[in-house]
Amino acid sequence: MSEPTVFIVDDDEVVARSLRWLIETVKLKVETFSSAQRFLDGYDSSKPGCLVLDVRMPGMSGLDLQERLAAQRIHVPIIFITGHGDVQMAVRAVQSGAFDFVEKPFNDQDLLDRIQKAIVFDAGQRGKNMQRVQLRSLFASLTPREREVLDLVVEGMSNKAIANSLGLSAKTVEVHRAKVMEKMHARSVADLVKMAMQNQVEQ
Amino acid sequence: MISANEVMGYGLFALAGMLTVALVLLAVVLRRLRGAQRQARDREAEHQAVLDRLQENEYRLRAIIESEPECVKLQAEDGTVLEINPAGLRLVDADKLEDVVGKKIYCVVAPEYVDFYRENMRRVFSGESVVYEFKAITLRGRVAWMETHGVPLRDARGTIYALLGITRDITEHKNAEEQARRHQTELARVARLSTMGEMATGIAHELNQPLSAIANFARGCIRRLHADGMTPGELIEPLEEVCEQAERAGEILRHVRDFVRKSELQMKPLDINQIVRTVVKFTEHEARQQGAFVRLDLDAGLPRVQADAIMIEQVICNLVRNAVEAMADAQWSRRQVTILTRLIGGDVVEIEVGDSGPGIEATIIDQVFDQFFTTKPEGVGMGLSISRSIVESHGGRIRAESGRKGGATFRFTLQASDQQASGHERADSLHC
Repeated sequence: MSEPTVFIVDDDEVVARSLRWLIETVKLKVETFSSAQRFLDGYDSSKPGCLVLDVRMPGMSGLDLQERLAAQRIHVPIIFITGHGDVQMAVRAVQSGAFDFVEKPFNDQDLLDRIQKAIVFDAGQRGKNMQRVQLRSLFASLTPREREVLDLVVEGMSNKAIANSLGLSAKTVEVHRAKVMEKMHARSVADLVKMAMQNQVEQ
Repeated sequence: MISANEVMGYGLFALAGMLTVALVLLAVVLRRLRGAQRQARDREAEHQAVLDRLQENEYRLRAIIESEPECVKLQAEDGTVLEINPAGLRLVDADKLEDVVGKKIYCVVAPEYVDFYRENMRRVFSGESVVYEFKAITLRGRVAWMETHGVPLRDARGTIYALLGITRDITEHKNAEEQARRHQTELARVARLSTMGEMATGIAHELNQPLSAIANFARGCIRRLHADGMTPGELIEPLEEVCEQAERAGEILRHVRDFVRKSELQMKPLDINQIVRTVVKFTEHEARQQGAFVRLDLDAGLPRVQADAIMIEQVICNLVRNAVEAMADAQWSRRQVTILTRLIGGDVVEIEVGDSGPGIEATIIDQVFDQFFTTKPEGVGMGLSISRSIVESHGGRIRAESGRKGGATFRFTLQASDQQASGHERADSLHC
């Protein structure tokens, strides 16, 4: 996976520059954008990292950008930077799924800690996503018959019972079951059950 | 042959004839003489009547002037008082005529107004009628404001020989005016204070920007120094940023202080578009919280206007806030405030603030600038009335309009500054 990047969106270019200067002290890559629109135009959602976003900006505000990203199913963690008296806005932002917010003027360590947490969270999300995608492709590789056998194995039925239930010979069930274990890279029935449950949760 | 008798008879006859002629002539001459005598008598009577009338007129005129409650006086070209009525004496606290008549009028004109007074005298003696106000110091040292209507008096040949001046004491009027103006200034300041209170969030945000930047740059430097990862030379750039941002914060505070200051109008040539942007910077956030967008349509080629920046900011601020509040019930997509600047005529700049709200009802559109008139439950009805007096004190005009499909538009005008005007003149003269 590539190095995480901190994306900064602030219409005040001096503030954006100062944030870059601060964040680069912890050896993180930084990209700055002077408006929400410029970010939407230039953002590559495959890059891991987090978004540091000013709530109030002319044109598209930070909250507007959050909505747009959610509509596009982009789940980059957002840390909002808010000013005095913007608590209501911050609450709204967090309710809409913002990762965190810091109130200006903020403590540098506090901001850097939150950024690190957001990056870890993003990496976790991306890892889970990856697993999810992998799991889905594993399930997709099963034939309909193998899928039936898997469902019954997960329910705890014996090979004989499965054979009876599906009107197959025990020998055939044996072969399907071995194939399922192999395709799913499962070392035990317990593994298989776990994977099946995860997949169910997703669906 | 003619006999002696005949001759004699003829001679008598001739004599009688001559006598008759002489008698007739005498009678005619006598008649004429008597007529002339009568005419002379009549003319003399007529002359006397004219003299009487003149005398009567003069008495009447003098009586009128003497009893006139306002000061009436005649002045020579050099300022010497030729005549003055009792009201005039009272006006300058004089006891008797000799205190004033024969003396120069400048004795009672405040020193700083002497040149101004002379200039008005000069105009009257060149044939103009003038009205001028000046500060006077009476013979007892009382300071008073006077207003004089001066007209030239001409003799039979048409030469101007005196200024006829009617002067009245306008001190009370002046004081009332001054008081009203002070009251207005104070009212405007109080309105600004309340506006400032409501804009506190916007100001705090503006101030937070440079403060945040300063903190970030400084922290970044400290962290790098701790990590031993930088040379002193690399510190210069971020430290310069720190200084610039400290100045930026100072500038904002100065602006806030100016906004609440209590002072006279400070007219200067201004970039009106810059004023509009400053107001938007402080009010846009509140507008956005109400879901309203502010759209700017500013003519970049405008001349500078002659105005007091703070006062005009106050007017635009009032109009923008009114616009935002007017749209509180409007549908989301329609909440827009448009601020427009444009040149109308050669040297008049117009500023327009329009909204997409419900507009103003025709029955109240003439009242919106009245003091204490408001349609807002919590309003006091001062904003527009103060705005109007500010615009009018700048020699401009403000008016409200309501669109047929809703939406209120407020427009006000400001004069381009003289510098610009003379610039235009120069440009024109180059063409000639």
